[in-house]
Amino acid sequence: MPNSASGAPSSLSLLGSELKTLFRRRRTAAMLVALAAIPVLIAAAVRLSSSVPAGRGPAFLDRISQNGLFVAVTAMLVSVPLFLPLTIGVVAGDTIAGEASLGTLRYLLVAPAGRVRLLLVKYAGALAFCIAAPVTVALAGAAIGASLFPVGPVTLLSGDVVQPPEAALRLVLIAAYLAVSLAGLAAIGLFLSTLTVVPVGAMAATVVLSVVSQVLDQLPQLEWLHPWLFTHYWFGFADVLRQPVLWDSFASNAMLQAGYIAVFGALAYGRFVTKDVLS
Amino acid sequence: MIRAWLRWVPAAAVPAVIAAGVLVGSIPARAGDPLPQKSPAEVLTLLGQHNTRSFSGTVEQSAEMGLPELPAAGPSSGPVSAGGAASVLEFLTGEHTARIFMDGPTKMRVQVMDRLAERDVIRRDNDVWFYNSKDNSAAHLALPAFASDLPMSVPEPPALPGPPAPPGDLPGRDLPLPILPGPPVLPTPEDLAREFLAVVDSSTEVTVGPDIEIAGRAAYSLELAPKTQGTLVEKIAIAVDGETGMPLRVSVMARGQAKPALQAGFTSLSLAAPEDSVFSFVAPPGATIKELQVPPIPLRPGLPPLPAVPGGITPGVVPDSAPDKIPGSEASLHHRGALRPTVTGKGWETVVGFPAAPDGQAAALTGSLLKDPLLSQAAVVVPGGRLLSTALVNVLLTDDGRIFVGMVPAGRLQAAAGAV
Repeated sequence: MPNSASGAPSSLSLLGSELKTLFRRRRTAAMLVALAAIPVLIAAAVRLSSSVPAGRGPAFLDRISQNGLFVAVTAMLVSVPLFLPLTIGVVAGDTIAGEASLGTLRYLLVAPAGRVRLLLVKYAGALAFCIAAPVTVALAGAAIGASLFPVGPVTLLSGDVVQPPEAALRLVLIAAYLAVSLAGLAAIGLFLSTLTVVPVGAMAATVVLSVVSQVLDQLPQLEWLHPWLFTHYWFGFADVLRQPVLWDSFASNAMLQAGYIAVFGALAYGRFVTKDVLS
Repeated sequence: MIRAWLRWVPAAAVPAVIAAGVLVGSIPARAGDPLPQKSPAEVLTLLGQHNTRSFSGTVEQSAEMGLPELPAAGPSSGPVSAGGAASVLEFLTGEHTARIFMDGPTKMRVQVMDRLAERDVIRRDNDVWFYNSKDNSAAHLALPAFASDLPMSVPEPPALPGPPAPPGDLPGRDLPLPILPGPPVLPTPEDLAREFLAVVDSSTEVTVGPDIEIAGRAAYSLELAPKTQGTLVEKIAIAVDGETGMPLRVSVMARGQAKPALQAGFTSLSLAAPEDSVFSFVAPPGATIKELQVPPIPLRPGLPPLPAVPGGITPGVVPDSAPDKIPGSEASLHHRGALRPTVTGKGWETVVGFPAAPDGQAAALTGSLLKDPLLSQAAVVVPGGRLLSTALVNVLLTDDGRIFVGMVPAGRLQAAAGAV
């Protein structure tokens, strides 16, 4: 394998340069800013309007004026169905197809890096973004919430009250839950990205798949299919807000996403190592 | 090219491995030690003797009653908006999960887990709290002293406090609805088992099926089958824990339906006493708090109802004008004292008939029943009235305002309606 050949860049440096390229891109920065804008918009809207009646709008919206930390929860809730998958789709769909369309894929493979390693590094980069995206929403939400609203003990779904440090921990857990939730989608995007040299195609297909999966999840007639849909547990992050914490959905979600990573990782491997790289 | 072909092997192997894993996982695990053979009577005794009062576990309840199913909509919508009746009906469609914590007869917590929300019932000695996270509302009920040692007999309002519904629109609120005996809080296997054991008599055949495993515990499968063909119920299966005798799962099978019409069972269970803090509840800041009135307990018919305690109201929050009456309690029953239900048939074939109420109440009642979107969709016009048909229970609303209920085919209800 080329991995062992002398002069091959180490995997770490390859990953380092991939992360650097990814997070230095203006597009990545713009997407993170857009994600951070969601909690800011929510907080501003709640601040400027009269009090929200309970039970209207997205869950937790009525709690914001009492406790700023709920801005982060609401923002994460709002961004789960579309905004987060959208940004993941862009990053994951771009992984291989982006290099191919720029004509740089050839050079990456000429350097004796190995296709498998390149695939792994690309996926690791997408995973890093899967972590960064929900963390950005959570951080921006907590920051804007704390600056516009009082921060105090947080009422969980069970009616129990926890202190702000514990509540911050729960926020981190939610962000971790969402990062895990998006890992499967990133693997799908990686595979789609190996199929084409048009990055926009892979991005759009990834986002469309996430929407289709969510629609299928709503149809009671397809109940047998629901546990297999990669979006099925996306809203399960609320279980982190119960007292005591319910870990079942976290575990099921992790299992499911691991399955998707295995299946689409293997598909991407099959496709990428047999692919004729012409550009 | 063979090499290229080899590269696709993982892509084929991974799904195959996952499929194999799922298949192996779906084979019911055999219990390590088979349970000792027991006769139906012995299993019944085991069930009757069980004394498990400290446990925590997760219960899954599912219903396949043939009622129209409402698609799970966005996170903010939910049955809470439909008021009390919907909460009762809610457990007759779809699936629900709840966590149950119990420690001794007087400490209990039930958490019904909704999507992005939760409804809690917490009891510690004489204090019972209801909490609904959807609108951050809590209700408190102080049990009278003599009830403090009553196990599990928490009087339950039909709905956890939700937004006040328009008056006159709530069939479940002040009507003794025998059709829907389901408590608003998820029925536990315990509740269901007690319900059905009450009807075990000569009309029922009791057998013990092959052992099953529920929530990782070996259990006897006690099967109650009506001897008659004239009922919608085919079989009731109760999984009785081989060690403690605790009912772990109850399934009600309807005739001509493969899936259980009603099932509630543990998916996980721990017999260790839960942490004491689980039973502590203080209404969270900002919550709307309602004080519920204690209904007179049937054990002491002469006792007057306790006055409501107007305590615990958060400043700045508008309290509800009057304390809620627990519906279905004697007050509303006596209100319609003239209405004596008639009973025809016996055992599984019992048909209960409610005569028409005077002064047009019946029409209003039927109208309000049919106003419920779920019910009106389910009711079909049959000769002599309208029929609400479910897998287990049929309800006939006759044109002259009488109501007939029974776990029998619709024809029998019509016959009963014609005979009176």
